[in-house]
Amino acid sequence: MESISRRFPQVFVAIYTGALGEVSNIRQFGFWLLNRAAFEDVPVEKPNEAGILITIDPESKAAGMVFGYLLDPFLEESDTFDCLSRAHAYWLEERYADGLLRVLAHLDGILTKRSRQARRDPEHFERKVLPPVQMGDLVRRIRAGHRPPALGKDQIMEVEK
Amino acid sequence: MKRAIAMSAGMILSGLIARALEEAPLPAWNGTERADLESSGWIPGAILLTGDPVPDEPGEVEPPLNVELPSAEEIIDDSKLINEVPEKYLAAYFAERPKTFLMDPQELLGPSDFRDRLAFLNYHASDSSIDLYVYVIGGDQEFPSEVRQEEMIERCFSEGRPALIVYYYLGAPQRSEVYLSPSLTDVISAPEQRRALESSILQAFEKTDPSGQLERFLVQMSIRIYWMERKLSGASDTSDEAQGATIAPAAHMVEAAPAVKFQWVRDQLRHFAMPAAVLLGIFLTAFGISAWLRLRRRYRFPEFEVEPRLGGAHAAGVGAVISFASATLPPASQRDQVPDYLRRA
Repeated sequence: MESISRRFPQVFVAIYTGALGEVSNIRQFGFWLLNRAAFEDVPVEKPNEAGILITIDPESKAAGMVFGYLLDPFLEESDTFDCLSRAHAYWLEERYADGLLRVLAHLDGILTKRSRQARRDPEHFERKVLPPVQMGDLVRRIRAGHRPPALGKDQIMEVEK
Repeated sequence: MKRAIAMSAGMILSGLIARALEEAPLPAWNGTERADLESSGWIPGAILLTGDPVPDEPGEVEPPLNVELPSAEEIIDDSKLINEVPEKYLAAYFAERPKTFLMDPQELLGPSDFRDRLAFLNYHASDSSIDLYVYVIGGDQEFPSEVRQEEMIERCFSEGRPALIVYYYLGAPQRSEVYLSPSLTDVISAPEQRRALESSILQAFEKTDPSGQLERFLVQMSIRIYWMERKLSGASDTSDEAQGATIAPAAHMVEAAPAVKFQWVRDQLRHFAMPAAVLLGIFLTAFGISAWLRLRRRYRFPEFEVEPRLGGAHAAGVGAVISFASATLPPASQRDQVPDYLRRA
């Protein structure tokens, strides 16, 4: 976790382990925790938007991974699923620490790759988070781009005749 | 009954055959027949049918040639068969210490033979501390009398690596001569040199073509030089083995051949070892620096304005969930399980 924080200075990783009890949906719990929690050992300049939260429920034997808005353009749900898949074999044997190391190693690789891609082509990732285009905006843009075609000289001469 | 008849018939038949095979005796003279015929002067068939000796055939007796026998000086100095090496080649032979181990300015050897023999001499030089220089001369040639071999050896071979110099007469290996560089003359005795030369000549005569003779000569001389080298290095018990080398050179050839064969590989390795080590060091250093820089590298993400969703101030819960309750439920079967209401609009 420290390594990820060092290599990706904007990002931090948090892990929650424990039985969720009456909270039936682990994804909803991750969503709630990342939005509400204050991580004491995380520097103040790193907001929760830059967080990646891994939640493990040993009782229901489920794990989830959510991330903040900072990584929204760069991470997909499939990426987090791939990270968790790396730990599946370890967590089956209740080797949670080993599984988490595998998750973090794979996450490191994905973040490195996406950071390079973002440096080369930031617009590609920016387009992912643009607000959806409204119908009115679309019509306005079409009208702005529409101009009557300019008449040529030959056409003007024909009219004079 | 039939069997008895067959046996008796066989015996009779074999007796007749044996009698037929017996040589009939020559006819003998009756009374005075021979004297009567001799009086007539000629006895027809006397040579073939009787045991009379064959009379000598009459022939013309040539008078003996009255040729003067060669003198002893002429026998020793057979100079009419020997030609001197043309003077234009003398400088190429003796002007300086030869640059190559095979000197053939008259081009008596064919190109491929020259290349093969030179390659062998190079191999020998790379494997031995005593170089072998060969001057090729025609079998019917000799150097002019004003050329003093000792002076040439002293002048050209007094410095540098010790060397054994051979004047090889192509097609006449028995005329070959051997000289040693000054650094070797005191160490290797004259009988030893003579034995080396004789064994090399013997080996050369196992071939009939001049090129093959030279090849065998050089191989045997190389072997003898090897034993000379052993002797120089203080190894005892070399004399018996040296004799063995003369008797059975093929065995030593078998041992020496791989060393000669892979000599160029060793030379190449020796030649390229240092540059390869330097390149490898540079490569490893570059690889280490690259790995170290990669570890120390910091990755930053561009920050874009993201519209909050689902009322989440910091995150919108777009992430995966995996269950590890059962080994029969692998991760592959859990893909695509995000509820629709959590998907991004």
